[in-house]
Amino acid sequence: MLTSPVDGRLWCALEAGLLKAGHPQVSLRWLLRSWQMLCGGFAAAVAALACVTTTPTAWAADVAPDPLHMLARIQEAARQLDYAGVFVYSQGSFTQSSQVVHMVDGTGTRERLEVLDGEPLEFIRHNDEVRSLMPQRKKILLERRRTDHFPGLLVGNPTGLSDNYQVAIAPGTRRVAGRTCHLIVIEPLDNRRYGYQLCADVDTGLLLKAQTLAGDRSVIEQVMFSSIKVGGGIPAESLSPSWSTQGWTQVESIMTPVDLAGQGWRVPQPVGFLPVMQLERVMSDSNKVSQIVFSDGLAAISVFIEPYDTRGAAQKKYGPAKHGAINVFGTRIANFWLTAMGEVPVGTLKDLAESTEYVPLPE
Amino acid sequence: MQNAPSTLGDLSNREIISAWLDGEAPGNPDLHLSHANRQVWDTYHFIGDVMRSNELAVRPSAQFQVRLGRALDAERPILATPQRKSSLGPAWRIGLSGAAMAAVVATVVWIARPAFVGTGTDATQVLADMTPSAFEDSALSAYLEAHRQMAGPSAIHQVSFQGTGL
Repeated sequence: MLTSPVDGRLWCALEAGLLKAGHPQVSLRWLLRSWQMLCGGFAAAVAALACVTTTPTAWAADVAPDPLHMLARIQEAARQLDYAGVFVYSQGSFTQSSQVVHMVDGTGTRERLEVLDGEPLEFIRHNDEVRSLMPQRKKILLERRRTDHFPGLLVGNPTGLSDNYQVAIAPGTRRVAGRTCHLIVIEPLDNRRYGYQLCADVDTGLLLKAQTLAGDRSVIEQVMFSSIKVGGGIPAESLSPSWSTQGWTQVESIMTPVDLAGQGWRVPQPVGFLPVMQLERVMSDSNKVSQIVFSDGLAAISVFIEPYDTRGAAQKKYGPAKHGAINVFGTRIANFWLTAMGEVPVGTLKDLAESTEYVPLPE
Repeated sequence: MQNAPSTLGDLSNREIISAWLDGEAPGNPDLHLSHANRQVWDTYHFIGDVMRSNELAVRPSAQFQVRLGRALDAERPILATPQRKSSLGPAWRIGLSGAAMAAVVATVVWIARPAFVGTGTDATQVLADMTPSAFEDSALSAYLEAHRQMAGPSAIHQVSFQGTGL
């Protein structure tokens, strides 16, 4: 229970950072618990006083890091650090490179992400506002949304992570994109979810490589930086869009909160998953589609529910489909179509879809 | 039975009343005095009446079934229902025990029905993996993008203009 002040300073800075960043999913209870795990009594109080202005930049080499806090540190690094680099996503024969520039200034978080392969596509982000630029169509899609992506990691609240996964740090270090990293092995405790192997930068905590592993330990998909620069020296103009967007059409995607239970839906969450959000959005053919998202901390499941339209029925395929780590399961319930998808084994989605119930409300 | 713990005792009283009402158990004088037991007796009779005549049924409020559904969900699962020895009462009365009451009041519940699918679809079979490029053209691309957008740290990026009027 005893912890050195250095340790405590590091972690309370981390957690202060989490609070400052306004992470909506991090509960105070979790912060408190992780704090109590790391800091004991008086040393904690001293460290807490000393920590406020410290930033999480160094990992004391002689301290055995707690794997769960290492995951929190990955998330924090992705949000708080300045970095620029190119990462490559691969799944089967598909690869996609993206260039990311991420900077935190007085106004908040600014980010530019450019997809380097295929049709030109660029995402310009300022805090929760994301503009997707498509030069070939001269269109901008404006969205206000949660914005975590690689090298961010966690979805929702990591409180229950250890209930569903065993997280361990492999001995020694690895090397990715010219940097030294700790290998974190995340094993699922049941067959409802996948496993992961992560490599987190020793110096900064930044996630450099992530692999999603099936039960037979084959790699389902992976993403890794091929080059990265962390810290100062990133020119501010690298955040500017590649194109002048004068005369482009801008549209905003509208999403409204919704209460599916109040509409008569009972969507049972798979073991270890908690609902993160539910909303209604307009999709194809102006159809309103409800979406509820569940997460176990690492993996996420979306369930889409929409009126079953006989005209579009040919497009609705019952049963499983697969896309990299994302599995899909579609089914019809009463006069609705349900699509469950997520980075989980298809059996998890099938169970969810087949145990979902709709109790029609009287008019 | 009268010496059972209070919570269990309550249940067993209901069991007794149910059996009594079914003509399967003799009346127990101790039960007569309790107000709660009289209510149970009246309720069980009322349920029986409603089952035989829809005109007596009351249309529940809009949220009632949802609340009921939630309450049923919150119930601990019944692992084993207590068994009564004799069951010679009329068939309709057998349905009046506690477990069956839930079935009586539950409204229509829709669940996934794979029956409408064409023949040959095996639900447990995983379809061939689609390459992302093929996937983007399919009807699911908008859903995929919506999932990635809301479901956190994705490393693959696309954008969907479906539903934005363009």
